[in-house]
Amino acid sequence: MIGNHRLRRLAPLGVAAVLALALAACAQSYPNSTFTPHSDLGRSIDFLWNRLMFFGTIVFVLVEGALVYVVIRYRRRSEDVIPPQTHGHVALEITWTLIPAAILAFIAVPTVRTIFETQAPAPANSLVIEVTGHQWWWEFRYPEYKFATANEIYIPKGRTVDLVLQSGDVIHSFWVPQLAGKRDAIPNHTNHIWFTPDSNMATTVWNGFCTEYCGDSHGEMHFRVVTVNPDQFASWVSHQQAPGFFSPPPAVAAPAAPAAPAPAGATIAAATPPPAVPANPTASPAQLASYVLPRAQVPEYAIPHTPLPDAIKFDDRLQGDPAAGEKLFVGAGTCNACHSVTGNPLAVGMIGPNLTHVGSRIAIAAGMYVNDKPHLSRWIKNARIMKSGVLMPTLGKGQYDPQTKTTTSAGLSDQQVADLVAYLQALK
Amino acid sequence: MATTVIDTSIPHLQPYVPSPVPATVQTYKSTVWGWLTTTDHKKIGTLYLFTALFFFLVGGLEAEIIRAQLGAPNRHLVSAETYNQIFTMHGTTMIFLAIMPLSSAFFNFLIPLQIGARDVAFPRLNAFSYWVYLFGGLFISIPILFGHGPNAGWFGYAPLTTKAYSPGVNIDFWVLGLQILGISSLAAGFNFITTIINLRAPGMSLMRMPMFTWMAFIVQFMIVFAFPVITVALFFLLMDRFFGTQFYEVTSGGDPLLWQHLFWIFGHPEVYILVLPAFGLVSEVLPTFSKKPLFGYPVMVYSGILIGFLGFGVWAHHMFAVGMGPIADSVFGVTTMLIAIPTGVKIFNWIGTIAQGQFKPTSASLFAVGMVALFTIGGISGVMHSSPPADLQQTDSYFIVAHFHYVMFGGSIMGIFAGIYYYFPKMFGRMLGEKLGKVHFWLTFVGMNLTFFPMHFSGMLGMPRRVYTYDAGQGWELFNAMSTYGAYLLAVATLIFIYNFFKSKKSGRPAGPNPWGAGTLEWTIPSPPPPYNFAVLPTVTSRYPLWEGKQADIESARINQQSGKSAEQLGIVLPYGTIKPLLVALFMIAMFSGLIVGHWLIFVGAAAMVLALYGWLTSPLEPEHH
Amino acid sequence: MSATVSHHYSTTGLDNRKIAIWAFIGSECMLFVSLISTYLIYKDRSRVGPYPHTPWTDPSTGHVYHAILNIPVTSASTFVLLMSSLAMVLALAAVENKGKPQRNLGERILGNSKLWLFMTALLGLGFLAFQAYEFTSFVNEGLTIKTNLFGSTFFTLTGFHGAHVTAGVIWILSMLFIDMKRGLGPSDAISVDIMALYWHFVDVVWIAIFTLVYLIR
Repeated sequence: MIGNHRLRRLAPLGVAAVLALALAACAQSYPNSTFTPHSDLGRSIDFLWNRLMFFGTIVFVLVEGALVYVVIRYRRRSEDVIPPQTHGHVALEITWTLIPAAILAFIAVPTVRTIFETQAPAPANSLVIEVTGHQWWWEFRYPEYKFATANEIYIPKGRTVDLVLQSGDVIHSFWVPQLAGKRDAIPNHTNHIWFTPDSNMATTVWNGFCTEYCGDSHGEMHFRVVTVNPDQFASWVSHQQAPGFFSPPPAVAAPAAPAAPAPAGATIAAATPPPAVPANPTASPAQLASYVLPRAQVPEYAIPHTPLPDAIKFDDRLQGDPAAGEKLFVGAGTCNACHSVTGNPLAVGMIGPNLTHVGSRIAIAAGMYVNDKPHLSRWIKNARIMKSGVLMPTLGKGQYDPQTKTTTSAGLSDQQVADLVAYLQALK
Repeated sequence: MATTVIDTSIPHLQPYVPSPVPATVQTYKSTVWGWLTTTDHKKIGTLYLFTALFFFLVGGLEAEIIRAQLGAPNRHLVSAETYNQIFTMHGTTMIFLAIMPLSSAFFNFLIPLQIGARDVAFPRLNAFSYWVYLFGGLFISIPILFGHGPNAGWFGYAPLTTKAYSPGVNIDFWVLGLQILGISSLAAGFNFITTIINLRAPGMSLMRMPMFTWMAFIVQFMIVFAFPVITVALFFLLMDRFFGTQFYEVTSGGDPLLWQHLFWIFGHPEVYILVLPAFGLVSEVLPTFSKKPLFGYPVMVYSGILIGFLGFGVWAHHMFAVGMGPIADSVFGVTTMLIAIPTGVKIFNWIGTIAQGQFKPTSASLFAVGMVALFTIGGISGVMHSSPPADLQQTDSYFIVAHFHYVMFGGSIMGIFAGIYYYFPKMFGRMLGEKLGKVHFWLTFVGMNLTFFPMHFSGMLGMPRRVYTYDAGQGWELFNAMSTYGAYLLAVATLIFIYNFFKSKKSGRPAGPNPWGAGTLEWTIPSPPPPYNFAVLPTVTSRYPLWEGKQADIESARINQQSGKSAEQLGIVLPYGTIKPLLVALFMIAMFSGLIVGHWLIFVGAAAMVLALYGWLTSPLEPEHH
Repeated sequence: MSATVSHHYSTTGLDNRKIAIWAFIGSECMLFVSLISTYLIYKDRSRVGPYPHTPWTDPSTGHVYHAILNIPVTSASTFVLLMSSLAMVLALAAVENKGKPQRNLGERILGNSKLWLFMTALLGLGFLAFQAYEFTSFVNEGLTIKTNLFGSTFFTLTGFHGAHVTAGVIWILSMLFIDMKRGLGPSDAISVDIMALYWHFVDVVWIAIFTLVYLIR
């Protein structure tokens, strides 16, 4: 009896709790919400979700309502009453078999239709981006424009993006909740997922995640997707194609800019179709030169908050020399064993992320740390303490390597690290 | 056979009337040696219960660490490496070492009692199953204490589990441990299939079997057909890791999806292996506390069988993100939707059982109703990801974590708790405290929803599963904090349960043979049952012998409830106790350990195992009949 | 063997072990279906040879590897295993008919359970000898369990089957030992029957393997 009274009191409480949750969900900002899709694929999924939610809610209310009703209505009031000994009811059994079947038909039909629509080959003029998952970072290649980058991509609004997913080691999964569902990146397989970002969406950053458990730092395998206007995209592309220099002379950006889309495409290869990037008639070429999303426009949620580990000490007042850093990059630092910087013939390493324009990125370590001097210097000094399991070696002199469980007597001095940081930060 | 004088004036053998409370509880004390050598299904069931509850606490502790870590963004109570071991072991422990063996505890204890048998078909094989489970459980659990716990998730996707990406011993323990535990489940599966087919009392036709035994019967078939597949998948991995084969070797052209398909062909039936026993327990509890037979018994049987069959045809719905192509996605999406129909039918029939009855809220029946309520939520979210495009937003996010906890905790665990409250009196002869039981229920019910309901939100708001931490400002803080406080509440609830359990076992109110006025065969014998269970084998004429029984049912119940005699007095032959099953299990573990420790141990273990097995096979099961 | 439980009550009247062995065989079917499926899925995916049905030239050494599978030899070993099943049928019949009068030489031979158990075990050993020959010749030709996907799947599948045959031979020899020690009679028929079921199952699995692995290209 006590239980019944409690149950009656608790039922409205439960409803209230669910409502409160729903309200809370609306009031705050949810930067990775799947409920506010910004692409055709996202909306197709959202349509199915709404239908599932609609029927799910009806079933939930009816079933739970019936359960609570029978528990209260038929509770025992006397120990002496023996209820009617019914064993079943054929018509009822048929009814509650057929009604769910009918509901499922209403779900199955649009489901199958959406499967075939969204898994058809991508439209012919799609922007192909080759995505390769690595433990624990993302490699991105734009075959149409012949350049590579890592962990941060720009895509033009209104043009279909065809992501071609592969893996360099174990299985990963690619997810930008606001733009598309997941697709796995599997070794020995090539997967596709394509979607068209809305033309009228904001110029902003979306967070992306690895969603297949892939080892130690699976939780820190993020990426960023920047949705920009087509002209901004064209400018960004031409900049990405340009070699990386530690102190960009004005002459470098300028020649590439006026010719933004067409020559860039033409010089790549005759076989590739010209990029469908319309020039923005309102913006002058000079304005568009070397477009990257201004720091002020990067939303708070796209800037990592991971705290600096106390274990690595570094004097942030040390001033670095980018020219010395460039020499170290291909010299004592041996960074070029793993990393590439386009334009530097000695830096062609293929194991780690491409660093050609690393200075313009929002974050380092696959979205784990802010791309600034305190984080970058400590990362170079001892990446393995900053992120579990990474291949990036411990480089600082006298630093403890948690993977080999040894302390190196060799390695880079803090001044050398500062030089490298200056060089990398200059690679805008 | 029995010569007991029958007292023909026992009022409680009327339907729904509980037996009177006895002054004392008959106990069957046993030495440690007695436990080690036991072949009695009830004692083996008790061993399963205690071991599985222990592992349930271990898995729960792991869950608490997980929730403490995720309670706030960028929290680093444990490192990524430790966290990954903990979530892997949380899943592995709860599935293979807690829920499955808790079900096994009931299979062992109940099946012979429900079908009117004196033991299982192969009592020594039954003991072997338990010891393999215990040693295998320790084998897979102990490495984490030394920082070498399995760390690739409970479904250990290749190629992450191959030597190239997991060079340590962590995965060695996992692959060998699961292989060992599979042997335990398979041996028990053959045993119970035989028991249920062949040891039913006269008149106990299949369609008179209690629903728990029916669900157990289906589960055994699922075990027998599903476990060989994971055995093969694990064997490939074992060969890759220890002998250099190429099954999951990507550079040789190996396909990581081979593992996924094999694993889920096992893994999805496994979900039903975990939840059908709880369905069975709830189907026992609700009729008793509604004073009404189970509604739609034949439909419940057929829907269970249908779930068992369909359970083998939906595995790839775990793989909608791998890019199987539109046809496979459509087929597996639709078959997954179909499985919702028989599952829904079960829920409706439980509601139909309560309707028009006389529902009494007890700890057992509240847990049963809670199970129906929570499993329904898990079922609805299950249909939500049966739609492959929609699943692309849900899979591998916290939405999935919410879903399967509503199924595993809301379904299996709630059902098992209902079973524990309901059958505790039968197992130990004393009532499990009702007052604390209800506190336990309400704290669990609220804590469970507080923990897992917000995960629907964190998932749909973009939080991936299996992340050891998350960044601030992603919109997940509130929901994660709620989940964490919910988990703390569950810890409190569980501690109350443990206290109540041991207190009641020691000094609970004596129960008597049928404290609930229940109708099935297990309530026609004393609590706890004597070693031989039934003084006379009952003759069964209906599904609820104590409710709807004819004279034959009542006669055997009268004799069996009163018999205070020993097996010798009754002339009943019981199997000998024997240490050999334990030894065979122990040497088998030694043999497997040899792959890690050193190859000499494989041969030493194998030789010892063969000797022990020879001793087992050449010694008689029981005294010869006279 | 353990004391039988035949004097106990049973619902179906069948021996417990008879039901258990059928459940076991059902389970084993899933085991071999998984192994054979894996072989078939990986059949043409090996990146390097040797291959089962086609020759392969190693690009780095220029060495030519022949098609590995030797179908005539395996046909012979298949025949040997089939004959062992026939011998097993005769062994079971001999045990079941123990005590019946044997009127002529033919009936005496047919009724000799020791002879037929021995023949079954011998033919099983013969099959294993063929397999040992096959494995060593493959290794000599350059195919090991580590070489490629074909090697891994082939040796694992046929090795699993070989292990089942080995277990069966040990079982048969144990039964033969009991027969020699105290003689098997009709009351032991159930034990032989269960063993025969297992043996025929292992035989049927081989037919599937022989067809799918050796004969079908």
